[in-house]
Amino acid sequence: MPASASTNRPEDLIGRLKSSEGEAKLKALREVKNQIIGNRTKKLSYIKLGAVPTIVGILAGASESDVSLIVQSTAAIGSFACGVDAGVKAVLDSGAFPHLFRSLSNPDAKVVDAAARSLRMIYQSKLAPKYDFLQEKNMEFLLSLLNSENENVTGLGASIITHSCETTVEQKALCDAGVLHRIIYLLEGSLNQRDASLDSLATIVKNNSDVISKFVGLKGGTALSTITELIKDRNPRTRLLACICLIVTGNAFPCYLQDIGTKTKLILILVELLEEPDQVGDEAPFALANLIADKEDLQKLAFEVDAVDKLCNFLHKGPVQVKRLRGIFLALGELCSKMEICRSRFLSLQVLNVVTDALNHDSLDVRIAACICMRNVSRSVKNLSAGRFMNEMIVTSLVQLLNDPSTLVQVAALGAVSNIVVDFTSRKSIFIQCGGVKELIRLSKSMDTALRLNSLWALRNLMFLANKTCREDIFLELTSSMLASLIHDPEPLIQEQSLALARNFVDGCVDCIEHVLADNGVIINAVGKQLWSSFKSEVCIQGMYMLINVATGSEFHKEAVMHQVLAPEASDCSQSFVTKFLQNNDSRLRTAAVWCVVNLTYPDSPGGSNRIERLQNAGVISQIKKMVNDPCLDAKFRCSKPWKAYSEKGFACSSVASLSKGRTCLSAKWVVVI
Amino acid sequence: MSLFWVVVGQLAAIETMSTSKKMITREEWEKKLNDLKIRKEDMNKLVMNFLVTEGYVEAAEKFRMESGTEPDIDLATITDRMAVKKAVQCGNVEDAIEKVNDLNPEILDTNPQLFFHLQQQRLIELIRNGKVEEALEFAQEELAPRGEENQSFLEELERTVALLAFEDVSNCPVGELLDISQRLKTASEVNAAILTSQSHEKDPKLPSLLKMLIWAQNQLDEKALYPRINDLSNAMLEDPTT
Repeated sequence: MPASASTNRPEDLIGRLKSSEGEAKLKALREVKNQIIGNRTKKLSYIKLGAVPTIVGILAGASESDVSLIVQSTAAIGSFACGVDAGVKAVLDSGAFPHLFRSLSNPDAKVVDAAARSLRMIYQSKLAPKYDFLQEKNMEFLLSLLNSENENVTGLGASIITHSCETTVEQKALCDAGVLHRIIYLLEGSLNQRDASLDSLATIVKNNSDVISKFVGLKGGTALSTITELIKDRNPRTRLLACICLIVTGNAFPCYLQDIGTKTKLILILVELLEEPDQVGDEAPFALANLIADKEDLQKLAFEVDAVDKLCNFLHKGPVQVKRLRGIFLALGELCSKMEICRSRFLSLQVLNVVTDALNHDSLDVRIAACICMRNVSRSVKNLSAGRFMNEMIVTSLVQLLNDPSTLVQVAALGAVSNIVVDFTSRKSIFIQCGGVKELIRLSKSMDTALRLNSLWALRNLMFLANKTCREDIFLELTSSMLASLIHDPEPLIQEQSLALARNFVDGCVDCIEHVLADNGVIINAVGKQLWSSFKSEVCIQGMYMLINVATGSEFHKEAVMHQVLAPEASDCSQSFVTKFLQNNDSRLRTAAVWCVVNLTYPDSPGGSNRIERLQNAGVISQIKKMVNDPCLDAKFRCSKPWKAYSEKGFACSSVASLSKGRTCLSAKWVVVI
Repeated sequence: MSLFWVVVGQLAAIETMSTSKKMITREEWEKKLNDLKIRKEDMNKLVMNFLVTEGYVEAAEKFRMESGTEPDIDLATITDRMAVKKAVQCGNVEDAIEKVNDLNPEILDTNPQLFFHLQQQRLIELIRNGKVEEALEFAQEELAPRGEENQSFLEELERTVALLAFEDVSNCPVGELLDISQRLKTASEVNAAILTSQSHEKDPKLPSLLKMLIWAQNQLDEKALYPRINDLSNAMLEDPTT
């Protein structure tokens, strides 16, 4: 007889599960159950030892009347599936599902309770198979669950919906089968039924305006006010779930979430729920982020009730758990996405270093959320101008993330980098010294489109208004052949960024113009080729401004541009792209074409009149004359005085204003804060 | 000069207005209270709610028979819940855990904080009984992994293990863990969790009503002199004093 301490070791217990019978087997089963409940480590070690198939075997072999054995094995199976993915997998792999479903029709209520609980545990995991209620038989079964008198069984029905309802077709099928009616009815049931119903309700109505219209009409149109009442419930989980239901409804139909009082209450409740120590507190910031995403009015409201301060306070309080930390960063990110007052407030609360630290967090999701938060906060032009984000701590961490094993993190980091390199204080060298340029150029060669696009975006912004040495460093690292091939990238968005990069490179710097004309004009030829062939306005606009900037240079530079403008690319298309753009529907493109002609025909330059003549022959000038009454004032203004230049070097205007306007800028330099 | 006196007069008037409170005599007050109607069934439900929540199962059963008030919960579950509570109060934590798991395995599986506190109580009982080796093994095997999962658990674990470092635990800084109040705290946490799992509110409604009474009286104190209830246990109206 072994010592009593060793008899309860996992190996011994599993042995007894397999070999013993009757009371001894039941005792061993109960012991295993009590050891694993609440204990993740124990669960994992039992799973490793293969306990799950043994226990499922006991359940499968138990006769219907052996209530204790069924209840104990079912409870153990449920516990294995609770909170441990490996457990869910083991349970599913050992074929427990049909046995558990069969137990739902057992005459003993204890068995039904146990089976419903265990199935619910399984359905709470992402690994559980999707329940196909588009099949009539399954839908009937689901309804029978929801119509049950047993609270655990209705809860299971609700969990199945929450887990499996994904498509609009499924949402509609549930709605048509009368599930919404039943769920609204269950809202009046016990606390647990109410929470389960709210959870599944949010799933059924999410992003589906048809179903939402039906839902708000239920109970004589009072369904929504029932939910609105529940956001004030005493139970925190109920409050959260009711808030989520209102948010999904309001996101689909803003008219149902118009009352300022309700909106304010939602924000206040969600911020307050962060105090909850459990899952409720973890999920609250995600709901808040969802509520205020892309909605300036709600962001303003959130600011007015001190949401920025309250969220930041949580970050100051000490270590925050992973999921919650991620949620808080996302919510703060949304708050700082549009409004400068929120960003200023955020920056004044000294939490930027918490975000910076989180860039090195172990959790991938936290790193991404921190990057998003950093990106949105750094949209602040005022603070960018002050070089607030260009410090070694931030830059080193972000550059490090460009090497992250996860592409998602890399892309998120590039978003933040793109903004912080827009710096007006000539501190861009910090970024270069940290090895940032090398990393960006490495990523611009990536096979992944998102990485190529975002790294080029960052390079373009880094090039913006950089000093000559800095520009040349970037260009030499990138090489002209690389830039030329990026201009020819199959992806139009990448062509656009590459052309914008070239445009910022040659802006107001004669030496840089020399660089793009070197190597047999590989870059300017690439630009010309795109302008002759591309149909995308955004691409052509960037290409045109690149030529406009080159045309501010010497005679030789202007001639290089003339060569692109007049070189017939294809024999069947003799009309220059400039003429084509002058007639384009996009006023930005017409304006760019006029600017190009203005710079080429600048009257004081020796070859000016000769170029006018050549452009006249190509039909460009006559097209410009037709534009005197152009509906776009900007183009018209330039057409009426096309040969009176505005500055000595041709056209160049400040682009600081363009930062806040994003893509609508008309300057020679180009930058977009993302 | 006359204007000055007018102002002083006004100020004095305002002051008397704010200090003079309305006086309500006992007779008036009782008459007002008599006009209010309260349904007997509501009273009975409040009493039943108190008995059920506090776990007086036999009293609840008797009260049900005598008053015909149906409890909002299966009375059998009260017995189970009380057995759990009692086990913790007596220091039989392992027994309590098994009972909770029989009642509903979800409670401890989805409530890590409660599970930790029960395990911590188990450790405290081992230390109380001088089973040092067993206590250390238990702390290492069962509690340390929970501490790895959660920073605040780790701090509590360290505090508890500190009990082993002192010869005279009654005088050590963490001695309160050995106090009976620690058991009661854990027991009431389990009790609340079981009630919540049964869709029952974890606090009885009667104390909330009394709290509301105290609050309402405090509000009224600023405006009027009235027969106050100072002793809640006999609910006597006391004559207002000026």
